[in-house]
Amino acid sequence: MSEEKEVLLRVENLCQFFGRPGRELKAVNNVSFDIHRGEVFGLVGESGCGKTTTGRTIIKLYNATSGNVYFKGRRIVAGTRSYTDEIAALKKESAKADEARKAEIKARIAELKKEIKKAKHDQKCCDKDYAREQSAHIEEEYAKRKQEVKTEEEAKALEEWHKDQAYRAKKQRFVTGIQMIFQDSIASLDPRMTVREIIAEGLRIHGVRNKKEIDEQVYSVLERVGLVREHAGRYPHEFSGGQRQRIGISRAIVMKPDLIIADEPISALDVSIQAQVINLMNDLCHDLGLTILFIAHDLSVVKYFSDRIGVMYYGNLVELAESDELFAHPLHPYTRSLLSDIPRPDPLSEKSRVHMVYNKLTAHDYSVERPSFREVTPGHFVLCSDSEEKKYLEEIHGTAQ
Amino acid sequence: MAEKMLEVNDLKISFRTTNGKVQAVRNISFDLYKGETLAIVGESGSGKSVTSRAILGILAGNAIVESGSIIYSGQDLLRISEDDFHKIRGDKISMIFQDPLSSLNPVVRIGKQLTEAMLLKNKGSRRAARRVFNSMLTNLKANMVEALVKEGVPEDQAKKTAAELTGEFNKFNVEALKLQNKYNEAANMLVEAESGVEWILLNIEKKQTNVDYGALTHKLIDEAKRSIHPFVAPAEQMQPIVDKLKSAKFPKKALPDEAAVSALRELNELVTSLKGRTEPNFFRIGYYKMHNPEKDIYSMPVAELNETAKTFLDEHFMIEFIKQEKKALKNAHANALEGKKQLLDMIEKKREIFDGETLDRKACETAIKDMEKVTNVSINRLDTVKDSAAYTFIGSLRSAVETYFTGIRVNPGRIRAYERQKTKYDRLIARNKTPDWKVTPAQTIDLELTKKNIRYIFDHISERYREDIARAESVNFDEKAVEFIDFMKNQAFEVSNKVTKSMARIRAIKLMEEVGIPEPEKRYRQYPFEFSGGMRQRIVIAIALSANPDILICDEPTTALDVTIQAQILELINDLKKKRRLSVIFITHNLGVVANMADRVAVMYAGKIVEYGDVNEIFYSPAHPYTWALLSSMPDLDTTDKLEAIPGTPPNMIYPPDGDAFAVRNKYALEIDFEMEPPMFEVSPTHYAATWLLHPDAPKVEMPKIIRERIARYQKEVAGRE
Repeated sequence: MSEEKEVLLRVENLCQFFGRPGRELKAVNNVSFDIHRGEVFGLVGESGCGKTTTGRTIIKLYNATSGNVYFKGRRIVAGTRSYTDEIAALKKESAKADEARKAEIKARIAELKKEIKKAKHDQKCCDKDYAREQSAHIEEEYAKRKQEVKTEEEAKALEEWHKDQAYRAKKQRFVTGIQMIFQDSIASLDPRMTVREIIAEGLRIHGVRNKKEIDEQVYSVLERVGLVREHAGRYPHEFSGGQRQRIGISRAIVMKPDLIIADEPISALDVSIQAQVINLMNDLCHDLGLTILFIAHDLSVVKYFSDRIGVMYYGNLVELAESDELFAHPLHPYTRSLLSDIPRPDPLSEKSRVHMVYNKLTAHDYSVERPSFREVTPGHFVLCSDSEEKKYLEEIHGTAQ
Repeated sequence: MAEKMLEVNDLKISFRTTNGKVQAVRNISFDLYKGETLAIVGESGSGKSVTSRAILGILAGNAIVESGSIIYSGQDLLRISEDDFHKIRGDKISMIFQDPLSSLNPVVRIGKQLTEAMLLKNKGSRRAARRVFNSMLTNLKANMVEALVKEGVPEDQAKKTAAELTGEFNKFNVEALKLQNKYNEAANMLVEAESGVEWILLNIEKKQTNVDYGALTHKLIDEAKRSIHPFVAPAEQMQPIVDKLKSAKFPKKALPDEAAVSALRELNELVTSLKGRTEPNFFRIGYYKMHNPEKDIYSMPVAELNETAKTFLDEHFMIEFIKQEKKALKNAHANALEGKKQLLDMIEKKREIFDGETLDRKACETAIKDMEKVTNVSINRLDTVKDSAAYTFIGSLRSAVETYFTGIRVNPGRIRAYERQKTKYDRLIARNKTPDWKVTPAQTIDLELTKKNIRYIFDHISERYREDIARAESVNFDEKAVEFIDFMKNQAFEVSNKVTKSMARIRAIKLMEEVGIPEPEKRYRQYPFEFSGGMRQRIVIAIALSANPDILICDEPTTALDVTIQAQILELINDLKKKRRLSVIFITHNLGVVANMADRVAVMYAGKIVEYGDVNEIFYSPAHPYTWALLSSMPDLDTTDKLEAIPGTPPNMIYPPDGDAFAVRNKYALEIDFEMEPPMFEVSPTHYAATWLLHPDAPKVEMPKIIRERIARYQKEVAGRE
């Protein structure tokens, strides 16, 4: 079923390390997943497990250490660490190897160096390439239209159209298709800009120069998120928390993105406001056909909101499945402990609740075999070793019978 | 019925702001019983934090407590002085704040922050105890003289007797303190030695080689030597072991040899056996030692010494002292009673000065001055339990009157300024312009309310004193005399109860273990930034518990934490609550957390309690539309429908709406909700809700589908499990 859907974002072996080599903090370590068009993908985990870092690396706020991210088939993030590591290993090997092997190694190193060059180019210039392509498109169309022009007036209009579109194409950026909504709505809005300026900033950067057009877009997007036109002239401090988060959302959707990365958009809000914002995002999702990467630690909200869920633990993705499947058959012990911690508005079950503790060292025995991320049942991925996979499969079939 | 710990009555708090007076808490009342958790739930701005801060006396500077009382152990926390509050805050009532990082000092080690309060509080309480002891003794002496003179004893004679008795009492207490201090020091060292030797033996048992046994034993020897005291650890038992330990060799990176281990075992046995020793009673021994300086008290067994000293003290001093003391107490009581009657009369006469349409400043001031004199007479200074009503009467009266006259002075000016602004605004409106500023409401002082407060102060004290006078005949002075001596003994013990840095350290490490911090010895020396969010919150809890409070206020302690840590912290608070029988006020907006923690729940909206009841009643049969809205706006694992968000935002509390504050956002609102505030309707004897829907004439409304279904599902689950 998942094969039929278009893959909008593909994350491949993404690693993000901080600090200097040797004493690195592995914030994100070898994470891979796909997001299909039109779905809501939830990413959960305790604080410090790297879920926010994953989101930020995808949108290129950090330079990835290793791994690739493809957005609509085009590589937007590319790290080089995996190549450099391989080169170092090969060089070590070549010191001891015989002649034939040495030549092989040399060829491989040359190949890898080419890869590195390509990766560096993609990381740096994916936007420029895209803009160039867009410009070429515009020029093509311009040439085509020029031949059809008959009157002088038409020619003038065409000139104007070309000038505007060419400017826009030049300013176009590919990653704009991904927008972010931040957790702290106060900190993410400039206190010295009016709401109109905040929302229009992205449009302006993208070469929209017509003031009327900007205003129209700002108003329509404000009304879309449940604010009114008059709010455009105000400053962020004049709004309540929920309204500020709405401004953050409207800033994101005004760019007509394909993917929104929502980084804990509701955890800083009040209970009643949380529901308002969730409902709003749900509506937007249906009406605009948005795809959302939803990062949060409140599992009941994630369950309610997302189609598929990935569970992260200390930089690793430990389990990934459709949300109903994940809650019905959690396999990884960490997921189970996480599920056991969700508070419910039910005093009787709450008071008798057993809190499961997850300890990485006692829960697994990886001394013999390294764990890997594998598909246990269709669409359900778990980080496990061979013996664990067998155990999980037995459990699933046991419950099925 | 459990014991009532805290009583909040009719509390009303406002904040002065540039836009006008914000009514944060409006006439709320609740009780807190011993060993229970009361959860206060509501949106931000509903006044839940303000209430808790008022209980702790840490309201912001622009807050005005307009009326109400918070009664804790016979004192009104809103009316006691800052000095008295110092003794309660942290000691009896402590608080866990939402953000752990902002309540810890980033540049001070965790250990110091944990022990700081213990050491400071100890110093202060010792000083206070000393002061109380001295002043009580002086009062006792004065009363003794008076009583004797009344009996017909010549004044010189009376003075001499009183001075002798009290002087003796003081002197032998000082002597006792000296002995006690020495004893305490040795006893504390013994406790330290005990934990030290246990630690070493534990490491040896586990065959740890990377422990520096030499250094540990060196410290242990020092502690053991300092614990030598005839009543604690006799030298003839302790010294040989110390010598053995001294001569033992400790190779580096290896386990100690057999001789050393056996010496350590011996020490452990000795220390354990010494734990069950008889405590010497220094109150008696001090007197005995003072009069028999030539006798070696340390050569006697403790039990025998206690007995000897007791008979000696009774024969030579106590019987006479108690006789005179009783007379003094009777005298003081009679004087105070006379004063109370006088004050009641005076209040009857002078009350009308404070009751008129407008008050006369001069008359008020002279009346207060006169009353102050009588009040001072009416307070029995020898009462061991202070009567807060009497002590705070003059102060609160004076401040209320002062507020009134300030109001008279400043109100006209403020009203004028408001009117000026208003006409300017109206003129602009009339000229069809839209001003970009708002009219600030006049911030006047409510004179009627102030007068009401003054009346309340008078009523309070009169009621109190009438009760006292009615009870006056039934006072048992024998009991009182014993109580008084016990009280003095306790004060003397307070003075000698010195907490040293090392003792505080031991207590802090024990606390850290209790709240579940691994390796407390190592963690003790770290800074706050080296801890994760959950660990930091645990430290804050440990600090809050360091004084062993009766009431713990948790202000959203888990809102900033994620689910896993949240579950751990909640479990921890629940455990501690059971272990120490704490009363907890738990403030949160997460209903899942409430279900886990609370015994009773109060739902607050716009500064009022709209519903309160048992936790099961609130979750399984909620009655107020606001509670419904709160419950239905949070998704749980089985929610698939659209959430029912509460539309709009809470009302502006500068102008609270006339009727039910929630009416505007309430889809079940009736017409009357916009006109009249609903009273509290009883749903069951423990469950009340303020909504017109419960009125017998109201149309029947069912709670939203989403909650009904959820409750049915939960109940089915519970039934299935059983």
